[in-house]
Amino acid sequence: MNTPRRSSPPLRSSEQRHGDPVASRVIVIGAGVAGLTAALRLARAGLNVTLLTKGVGGLQLSQGTVDVLGYSPTDPATRVANPLAAVAELAVADPKHPYAVIGVDAVRTGLAFLHEELGEQLLVGDPETNQLFPTAVGAIRPTCLAQPSMLAGICMDGARFAIVGLRRLKDFHAELIAGNLARTPLPDGGHVSARHLTIDVPARPREVDSSGLTYARAFDDPEFRARFAAELRPELRPEETVGLPAVLGLKDPTAWSHLADLLDHPVFEIPLPPPSVPGMRLNNALMAAARAAGVRVINGSFVDTPVHSGGRLVSVNVETAGAPRTITGDVFVLATGGFESGALTLDSYGEVTERVLGLPLAGLDAAPLLHGDYWGGEQPLFRVGVAVDPSMRVTSPDGSAVPDNLWAAGGILAGAVRWTEKSGEGIAVGSAVKAADAIVEELA
Amino acid sequence: MNTPQSSPPPRRSPEQLSGDPAVSDSLDFAGHEFARASLDHCVKCTICETVCPVSAVTPLFSGPKFVGPQAERFRNGESVDHSLDYCSSCGACTLACPQGVQIAELNSQARAVMKADHMPVRDRLISQTTLMGTMMTPVAPLANAVLANKPIRTVVEKVFGVHRDAPMPPAQTQTIQGWLKKRGPRKTPATRGPIVFFHGCAGGYFEVETSKRSIEVLEHLGYEVLVPKQGCCGLAQQSNGLFDQATDAVLKLCDDLRAAGELTIVSSSGSCTGMLKHEAHEIMGVDDERLKDVATRIRDMMEFLLEVADAGELPELSPIEMTVPYHAPCQLKSQGMGMPALDVLRLIPGLTVVESGATCCGIAGTYGLKKEKYEIAQAVGKPLFEMVRDTNPDLALCDTETCRWQIRKGSGVPTEHPVFLIHQALGLS
Repeated sequence: MNTPRRSSPPLRSSEQRHGDPVASRVIVIGAGVAGLTAALRLARAGLNVTLLTKGVGGLQLSQGTVDVLGYSPTDPATRVANPLAAVAELAVADPKHPYAVIGVDAVRTGLAFLHEELGEQLLVGDPETNQLFPTAVGAIRPTCLAQPSMLAGICMDGARFAIVGLRRLKDFHAELIAGNLARTPLPDGGHVSARHLTIDVPARPREVDSSGLTYARAFDDPEFRARFAAELRPELRPEETVGLPAVLGLKDPTAWSHLADLLDHPVFEIPLPPPSVPGMRLNNALMAAARAAGVRVINGSFVDTPVHSGGRLVSVNVETAGAPRTITGDVFVLATGGFESGALTLDSYGEVTERVLGLPLAGLDAAPLLHGDYWGGEQPLFRVGVAVDPSMRVTSPDGSAVPDNLWAAGGILAGAVRWTEKSGEGIAVGSAVKAADAIVEELA
Repeated sequence: MNTPQSSPPPRRSPEQLSGDPAVSDSLDFAGHEFARASLDHCVKCTICETVCPVSAVTPLFSGPKFVGPQAERFRNGESVDHSLDYCSSCGACTLACPQGVQIAELNSQARAVMKADHMPVRDRLISQTTLMGTMMTPVAPLANAVLANKPIRTVVEKVFGVHRDAPMPPAQTQTIQGWLKKRGPRKTPATRGPIVFFHGCAGGYFEVETSKRSIEVLEHLGYEVLVPKQGCCGLAQQSNGLFDQATDAVLKLCDDLRAAGELTIVSSSGSCTGMLKHEAHEIMGVDDERLKDVATRIRDMMEFLLEVADAGELPELSPIEMTVPYHAPCQLKSQGMGMPALDVLRLIPGLTVVESGATCCGIAGTYGLKKEKYEIAQAVGKPLFEMVRDTNPDLALCDTETCRWQIRKGSGVPTEHPVFLIHQALGLS
């Protein structure tokens, strides 16, 4: 990065190295939900997997839920009730959407795989049903798989919420949340009632401004939970369900249910802006599973300098301290995300570039890519990305060459505006599992 | 991509900095040139905050995002935030940052500038690693007795600020150079040509067994192992903000290592390797062809063994039926090469290696020795100590010396370099 570029010198010895080459190696680039899912799926199939990443992936910044489809991409005002059914319809209605090549079966397989890997302590729900969950500004947000600690917050007619703020946690405004929830009509015309209160239980002594993560670490301690419950319980009214910031334990998956027992009220978590504790729970669990499954993780540097030979990608470089190292592989999976992660960049001349491999991009034909109306309609730029065939193998949208041992998954795929559709995790796990299964078949 | 394209405007003159017109180039670099180069890449995502081992255990350090890229915008002539001194420079923040912000480097530089005009005597002393080794080896039993003596350590704490319970290196009766002189010629022929071994101060004076076994493993692989006379890399001085002395030391070491020839250099001293690979350049701005040359050629011992294994050239390893905890030190992880020890150890049949999952053991070089930081360092290490004890009370593995002293002291579990098990699996012990 800051080291002047040098190529790694060959190891100098009097004898050239010889011997058997290592077994087929799959190189996954990116450690978000797509990269982690792909790496884990490949390792479970017995393949030799190396995961390259610059830092912690984006899953940690997420709400800690699995969105498959929240709003219809063709009619953004329409909230989706059955995500899988809507994915199947979308695949027909918009052939350029990633779901058209991924297909509903792969999405179902991907969600089942993720669900199985993470377990019921971290993920519950039904991919056929979106539920409505409160956000940190008191809006309601559809998603289909959530953490068990969030379920009591499902917005249904007649629900009675007490939204509890913590005086020393600044990213959770109980009054705003309760006010917005109470005034928002539910899709069936019903309402929730919500009031707010704020209590002051320090996460640790002599700290007036604690992050959600600091509180989450405190909630991992049963003794802190007891002290917290003793302060809050007298403030609660009968029949109330307690909404708290999503800080109820980072490592202890029973922290929230223990607190509910102590309060003798149902409790739910509302995800906060980063640091997102529910996002960290999923990220930590998937990364630990990948490592335990034997995935070799090389973290810390950007990936660049692709080397091609005979129509195939042979190697990439990682900027390891001292000098770059060449990472060779038989098969590569690009799971680097989109503009938000820096995998796609737009320069001042309007050129869009895929940063790692310099791949040709789909979606550039829309004109203009950006319109000047910030609050206006969708910006076509955000549908730009890499094109893939139904096995998630990278294809060329413009006839230029692409390596034939390269697959792609997740946010780098062209055709979706994931944050408005609420489709990010569904696209990621569907494409990751489909790519992994295709690679397993290819190498068999 | 984070290389400074243009120098930011000077923020204060060298005279203002220390009152000494002859202030060093490296401090000048730290104060003026480099620190701001990457901070505009910060998108405030808080990922660095979530990995910081220090802010997790104490509110005295307000976290890498606040102290790093945010406070840096306000540092114009003086430090705005003295919690900066509580950063242990473990580098976890830089490693975790997806945007390429050099958070830890920025903090190390700002701290060196902040401390320039009032460097504690203690910080000058504890960074004299070679001196400690040369003084302690001839009187090893006495030195060990002194370091274990409570009243003496209490006086040392009161006078110098080195905590009475802080882990200290075990003095040995023989240095690595002494061992090399006394042992006979190698028993197996050198079939692969020469290679240079860099043992570092700790590997020369204290963790001599690690150096011995590394040399024996390399020889077993067929290399002729050259061990040139070598000095200190200056890492402890760098981490204490003594950039002048550290720069002199690291360049002198480069000369020492280069004197052996244009060869691959291998080291079992993980953090010193990091100093040569990137810290001297990235933190102190040392821009010297000799350093670049060494940085390009040096390999961590386990990184080197993984390259050998990946090439299919590691001899067969005999089984070791054991479950062992492994802790990858922060300064090893910050080299951006993954955890090569984990990947090599997994090749030993019967061996189950459990990665600690801990960011840092707490010691962070000399940080955990200091009176005012000892408790923090112990709190950082606590989950690791527990994990180590729970996994195997008889053996833990870790690549760097000071971390091993910290883990041994904190957990009571004998802790060795991962090469010990490779040595054993190759039938050498």
